[in-house]
Amino acid sequence: MVEINRSKYYSFHQATADRAFHIDFGHKTIRLPLCQLLSLRHKLKTIAIEDHFDGDLNKHGFEILLLCNKEHLFILNTLEILDLTELVESSLVKLGLAQPAQVALV
Amino acid sequence: MKDIARQSMSIKVESMDMLNAQIKMEAHASASYLAMASWCEQNGFFTSAKFFFKQAEEEREHMMKIFNFLVDTGGSPMSPEITNINHDYASIVDVFESTLDHEVKVTKSIHNIVKKARELGDIATERFLDWFVMEQVEEENTIRDILDMISVTGTEGVGLQMIDNQVANWME
Repeated sequence: MVEINRSKYYSFHQATADRAFHIDFGHKTIRLPLCQLLSLRHKLKTIAIEDHFDGDLNKHGFEILLLCNKEHLFILNTLEILDLTELVESSLVKLGLAQPAQVALV
Repeated sequence: MKDIARQSMSIKVESMDMLNAQIKMEAHASASYLAMASWCEQNGFFTSAKFFFKQAEEEREHMMKIFNFLVDTGGSPMSPEITNINHDYASIVDVFESTLDHEVKVTKSIHNIVKKARELGDIATERFLDWFVMEQVEEENTIRDILDMISVTGTEGVGLQMIDNQVANWME
């Protein structure tokens, strides 16, 4: 498995043998084929991160992420969501699927 | 190291995002034309209603064309959520003017994706959209011609009935 990218909390790897990517969340590593990686990206893009700064809209500042067809469940705080978003977006740039200029946190 | 990402997807992520937005726009257009067909039916413009039923089907076909392109290129097409469909129109002229506004918005959106795909060097997306560019020329022209016909016919007396009858000329 080859490390492609690393952020503050997570690391992103490519495994040629099983034709998939892996994200190491520290306590757990999950396998993502490209379609699941795009699905994770979509979920992260649709998170209203500004709601985390409004006690009425997101009281606790957490997001629940169900990944890989409900195989994995993560509860992430604001900083972890921002970090994961940055990891996924910059990994897509490193893989040549996205343009560097398009990388944005939210 | 094998390029698994490129092996799995043949377009850029930015193109995929824009095409997903276009899927939503086409779906919105289809739903709007269905609302216009409903208005026409309720107000006695039965030929125009048929015209808009057909337009609604065409817009859905456009949506599916893009959806299938994303499937073919290994992208992730998203089934769109459609809200805010207007069902209120002041007149048949208002209906066709709204249609033209909608078509112009779709044309601008397609042109923006073509420009961006060109900038990204995403030749597959650029070439795929060639058909849509020409289709939009045809769509806009049809609605412009109908508005011209309405202008020439006028809405006084039996004008409205004549307008509705003549819309049949633009139905294949």
